[in-house]
Amino acid sequence: MADLAEIERFVAMGTRIELHRFGAGDGDALSAARRAIEAVDDALTIHRPSPTTALNEALLAGREAAIDDPVLFDALVAIDAVHALTDGLFDPAADRRFAGAGWSDIAFDRATGRVRATRPIALDFGGFGKGFALDRACAALREAGVASACLSAGESSIAVVGDHPLGGGWPFAIPHPLDAGRTLVELELTDESLSISSTVGAGTQAPERAAMIRPSDGATVTAARCTVAVDRLGAHAEAMSTALLVADQDRAARLLTAPQRYLFDLSHEAAIGRPSARMLQ
Amino acid sequence: MTEKDFDLTRRSFLDRVLLATAGMAAAPWASAAADAEPAKTDRVRLGVIGTGDRGRALIQNIAKTRNCIVVALCDSYAPHLAKGQALAASARTFTDHRAMLDAGGLDAVVIATPLNTHARLTSDAFDAGLHVWCEKAMARTIADCGAMVTRSKAAGKVLQIGHQRMFHPTYLNALKRTRAGEIGTITQIRASWHRNNSWRRPVPADATDRQINWRLYRDSSAGLMTELATHQLQVGNWFLDAVPTRVIGSGSLCFWKDGREVYDHVALIYEYSGGRKLIYTSLLNNARYGCEEQIQGSKGTIEPELGRIYQEVPAKVLALQRMQKDVARGHKRTVPIGGATWFPELPVTTPGGSLGWGEYDETMLQFEGFGEAVRKGAPLPGLLAQAYNASVASLLGEQAMDRGVAMTWPTSLVAI
Repeated sequence: MADLAEIERFVAMGTRIELHRFGAGDGDALSAARRAIEAVDDALTIHRPSPTTALNEALLAGREAAIDDPVLFDALVAIDAVHALTDGLFDPAADRRFAGAGWSDIAFDRATGRVRATRPIALDFGGFGKGFALDRACAALREAGVASACLSAGESSIAVVGDHPLGGGWPFAIPHPLDAGRTLVELELTDESLSISSTVGAGTQAPERAAMIRPSDGATVTAARCTVAVDRLGAHAEAMSTALLVADQDRAARLLTAPQRYLFDLSHEAAIGRPSARMLQ
Repeated sequence: MTEKDFDLTRRSFLDRVLLATAGMAAAPWASAAADAEPAKTDRVRLGVIGTGDRGRALIQNIAKTRNCIVVALCDSYAPHLAKGQALAASARTFTDHRAMLDAGGLDAVVIATPLNTHARLTSDAFDAGLHVWCEKAMARTIADCGAMVTRSKAAGKVLQIGHQRMFHPTYLNALKRTRAGEIGTITQIRASWHRNNSWRRPVPADATDRQINWRLYRDSSAGLMTELATHQLQVGNWFLDAVPTRVIGSGSLCFWKDGREVYDHVALIYEYSGGRKLIYTSLLNNARYGCEEQIQGSKGTIEPELGRIYQEVPAKVLALQRMQKDVARGHKRTVPIGGATWFPELPVTTPGGSLGWGEYDETMLQFEGFGEAVRKGAPLPGLLAQAYNASVASLLGEQAMDRGVAMTWPTSLVAI
């Protein structure tokens, strides 16, 4: 049994964050992890003035912008990576207002830290921000000597450090979004992150919830889908679950070649309300 | 609708009232009225004082009853009197209520005049040996409300105040289910009557603004409190089975600054024993939330105007919280995480269940009840106390807003 268990709960990234640590590590490890998440929230939020809103104002006005904030800089570097990883399907610049606009319209010079765009554009990091924040929190925990921890951002983004305090992986069950009594898939994580995205189920109709945009044409994705992605990095898991949600059949098949990626087509269940989940993998 | 069709509708309506009140002691007036089966002969003769919009609506409802008939009409404003006559062609007409009372041939009067005249007209009717049905609120002052009760008792005549919700099957069913514990312990009622109009009526050339828009002036009305809130304060007292201990409030004229004297925004908190509260708002420039009483219990909520009952959604046990406890006792099991997207505590939008709905004739029923009360010379049980307390609550709320202080429930009220 673990000799120490601590919990930190707070609201950030527009959701409820929970940090659970077990066993060894510095006494202020959870505080450090919390600070890491709040720093990401401060840098990437578009719901209050932030380095990202400053960047967006410049890009929407057709101006070049200098990135001074190190967290935003690192996020842009990570975005570049996941945009390529997802075959361009994860795109924080996709916007219903500007059909066809996307990350490829942005030029990010890492050497000078300057960003410019070929058309008016704005970034919304969405779920990627949660995964990115959990990655930095995990790094803070590891640096503080923590060997076993579970981090949650709204329970749709999970990251674990090390093994479960009772040994082995961390077992999780992903619920069916249309039937609370059923499980879509069970997974075990060790030093990994998990992201769930869905177009149906709890919270998807909440007024502040942003619609899922398909980067190719800026259209809202309406198909009833639920996707799950596991990756060493939370940022990658988030980007992948989002990409799977908006992917067409061919691109989804390509993305699903890696393990621990799932796409559930729930359209039949959404229409007729009875279980017939089909897993495409 | 044919008479036969109406009789069927009427029977169905009365059956719903009887079903809703069966075995419940909290609405004796309604069961008494619905169970009366009044004879159609020898109808109770009514003289209606005030034939404006409300008075004419009452005349139409009286016409549906089996035991009442309008035989006289009185209004000092000729166009209103003519419209009233169109609804009761055989009724005699008067422009002065004393002339109507002196003319005789009445068993009771129906008063649907500006609020500040209720007490005087009621007193005059009792002096003439008549019973009285009077629109709510009872009177312009708490003292006059008490005086009406005292005069009724002294005269040995029925005094009934118009609170149609007390005869409404949906409300009665809601009360029954509340008393049965379906929504748990009620600790708060949130009531509102929100409109988006000026509440001002056009003034014909032959009338004065104070004559037509008497609701907007302090000497004749307490505005939103006596004309709208009274109904909902009665509902609050009824469901909380108590009268308030104290009220605090804030009133303002902040939108319709057109020379009116009564508030166009009121917000009050009525406190009841045990820390319970009725939170009331009424305003005239936003109608989104309309007229409703949200009766909030530990297990559910009732919204009688919508005719719905909602069960509380059980709080979700947080999976990660459970995981901590599991680990503490050395038990490893799968964590059923919440799925995509945690969302904030937005209002619950479950559809709830129906409390019953349909075409109701609660105003008709309250007159049939009144007719039987007049025939027996005894009021419907419990009704006047509800009305008196509702009127006092509305006027006490006005005082709290005017004075900017908490007003405690008066200890000098008349016993009923």
